[in-house]
Amino acid sequence: MKYALFLGCKIPSRLPAYAASTRAVLGHLGVTLVDLEFDCCGYPARDVSRDAFVFAAARNLALAERAGLDLLTPCTCCFGTLRHALRFLGEDAQLRARVTQALAAEGLAWSGTSAVEHLLPLLARKVGVDALAAAVRAPRTGLRVAAQYGCHALRPSNVARFDNPLAPTIFESLIRATGATPVDWPRRLDCCGDPLHQANAPLSGRMTRAKIADALESGAETICTACPHCHLRFDAVQAGSPEPSIRTLLYTQLLGLALGLPSKSLGL
Amino acid sequence: MSPMIFQTALYASLVLCALGLAWRVSAWFRVRVGPDARAVTLSRRVAAVFQGIAATLASRRVFQIPGAFVLDVLLQRRLFANEKLRWFGHLLVVVGFTLLLLMHALWASVTVKLFQGYQPTLDPYLFLRNLFGTMILVGVALLLYGRWRRRTGLPQARRRIDAAFVALLAFVLVTGFLLEAHKIASPRAFYRMAEQFIGTTDAEKLMPLRALWASEFGVAFADLKTPIAPHLVQQGRELHRDACAFCHTPPASAFVSYPVAQILAPVSGLLDQVRADIWLLYLHVFACFLGLASLPFTLFFHVVTAPISLLVNAAAPQRELPGQTFPTPTLSSAVRASRRALALDACVRCGICDMRCSVAPLARYLGNPGLLPAHMLQATAALADGSLLRPGREAGALRAAEGAFLCTDCGRCTSRCPVGLDLADLWEAARGDLAAAGLPAPAQWVQARAALAWAESLEAGPGQYIFSAADAWSAPLSADRRTFSRCVQCQTCTNVCPVVAHSIDSEHGVDLTPQKVMNLLRLGLGDLTLGSRMVWDCASCYQCQEHCPEGIRVADIMLELRALAVHRLGAVRSLGERS
Repeated sequence: MKYALFLGCKIPSRLPAYAASTRAVLGHLGVTLVDLEFDCCGYPARDVSRDAFVFAAARNLALAERAGLDLLTPCTCCFGTLRHALRFLGEDAQLRARVTQALAAEGLAWSGTSAVEHLLPLLARKVGVDALAAAVRAPRTGLRVAAQYGCHALRPSNVARFDNPLAPTIFESLIRATGATPVDWPRRLDCCGDPLHQANAPLSGRMTRAKIADALESGAETICTACPHCHLRFDAVQAGSPEPSIRTLLYTQLLGLALGLPSKSLGL
Repeated sequence: MSPMIFQTALYASLVLCALGLAWRVSAWFRVRVGPDARAVTLSRRVAAVFQGIAATLASRRVFQIPGAFVLDVLLQRRLFANEKLRWFGHLLVVVGFTLLLLMHALWASVTVKLFQGYQPTLDPYLFLRNLFGTMILVGVALLLYGRWRRRTGLPQARRRIDAAFVALLAFVLVTGFLLEAHKIASPRAFYRMAEQFIGTTDAEKLMPLRALWASEFGVAFADLKTPIAPHLVQQGRELHRDACAFCHTPPASAFVSYPVAQILAPVSGLLDQVRADIWLLYLHVFACFLGLASLPFTLFFHVVTAPISLLVNAAAPQRELPGQTFPTPTLSSAVRASRRALALDACVRCGICDMRCSVAPLARYLGNPGLLPAHMLQATAALADGSLLRPGREAGALRAAEGAFLCTDCGRCTSRCPVGLDLADLWEAARGDLAAAGLPAPAQWVQARAALAWAESLEAGPGQYIFSAADAWSAPLSADRRTFSRCVQCQTCTNVCPVVAHSIDSEHGVDLTPQKVMNLLRLGLGDLTLGSRMVWDCASCYQCQEHCPEGIRVADIMLELRALAVHRLGAVRSLGERS
């Protein structure tokens, strides 16, 4: 298995441990990752120009296409953006023409041959939950983990094609593979609050804290994430807060520990 | 040139340079970038810098400074890691300039003391002067070529004064070569020296020497017939050995000036008549003095600022992030305030940051260079000195604000900057300043008015807006009323919305519900939605869209409305409006 790794903007600068642990885990599992000169997925431009956002996404897809690779991202928001761009390119011929023209000016072309894959489905379906469980050397037995799915992985389901949007199981099955116990928590599919942090910080904070309180009430010891935005959001709200806190752990770190990889290679 | 004129001009330039330096250095404590910098007094900033220096000198980090000086400052390893061609060009300029300065400009206090019998007209000095001058010219050409190669399709950040400085540098080099070439070819210079060292200017008596100097030293005597008889040249050698050889070796080793001298030969008599030696010398020397006096205000200033920036990085406590090529220093807010002001001076607009900026494709597509780091730095400087907000420059200020708030903080500019600037910190500060100046992120300036007030502004604005075919390309879902024809007003979208659910107080809660937004659009009253909190507080979690029993793309529409609002409301927005 060989993929072009799309880290996006947040991971390299704010959460380098996610990049390190993703590389360590996938390397251990025999997935080859190729680094291309990707740029911003286009997410921030959605508030300004639909065209610009789709162009930025399509440009990254074209780079992967030129390298003949599918694109793998550990960032749920990048995943959603790239998948949305695929939808818009597919349904709007005029938009496609404008983007194609702008890409051609840079010597690039998009034809849709490169797929966009998220880290979790890759692990659960391509590598396989059973293969993961078989590779575990140090099972995290007894650790109670709350799976934070992240909105843009699940919804809209006809764009993301990730899992059942109302009753997903993929993350829990991946947690079980490490030997840990997934907890059932009512707010597991809720938004972490990050996207409206700039527009409405008090409301955003309430959304994040509600999730943390719910995870604690449900008996979780840690919230497991697979998106830098969710992860950093939980950490930022809990930093310096007097309220009860919960540890956050990236899924790649949880899996890496279970695989017996050195914690330093996982950014821990 | 009379020594008095020379000395006066030199000291005047030095005084101007010193005053300019003092002014520019004081800016590192005066200029405020970032809301946190405004809270720090000038004296606190000065004290913090000295405390920082003292703390470094007393810590183990002090031992890192010599290594950093060699690797970062002298050998420019950050530049080497980025772009080998630029590194090579820069090295040529630095080495050529430094050696030319020491050997040639400061000959009386450096070269004479180190090398006995130094004469500018002897080898190897003749050759070396040409070599160093050529190194600078080739280096500058490589730097310009690199800049041309880095073009992104958007205008590159630049200051006029920098182009003027490069032109001045080229002028100094060209006048230097011309002066040397003219003196090689000049009969007048020959006769002046002959009078001084042989005691005659008689053309006939000097004929053998002239024959030698015409054939081997390139002097262009108009009255000498070619070919020159070899025996005359041989006769001249004895006199040459006694009177000239102490100070003169054949100038063919001056591989630039000598060929130029041969080109100038036909007009050297004319140049002698108009005293080209005098005015070329004046031009050459005064251009140098102009460069010296203006140093603090030109590109040249980075000779001071870049080493300081690099050494601060080496001396400050580091926060090293895996995946980053170079660590970024952690500084107190008082020191950071000065570090930011220094950054505005240390940037040379090389544009390496622009090359690998994550949002460069967006900048190109939107046609807004304001997204690119070098332009953002320029806008930050303009914001700090007040020029960004001057009346008549609104368009530039708006472009800068759009750029600053589309920056994704990916940190690539910081890790790439050859002078080690903490640009990520600078952008955060700049966004704070922009917001304080009434140019915040769209989500903020839209909130300055209620949705209804925005709709009224649109109505009273340059033209009444309705969702029309013109919007079909940017907001195809919202512009098409058929999108909403299936809506049965079931309110599922509202019921699953986490933003609505968490809107428990009127101050921070939403005004409309998703269902009301859809209904207004359905009724053709879209203008009422553009400034609504619901549109701008939408978390884009897609619960509404996922759950809509009629498959209406509620969240996609919310995001379309934002982009539409940025343009529509932006046209009727008054700058400086605070929320």
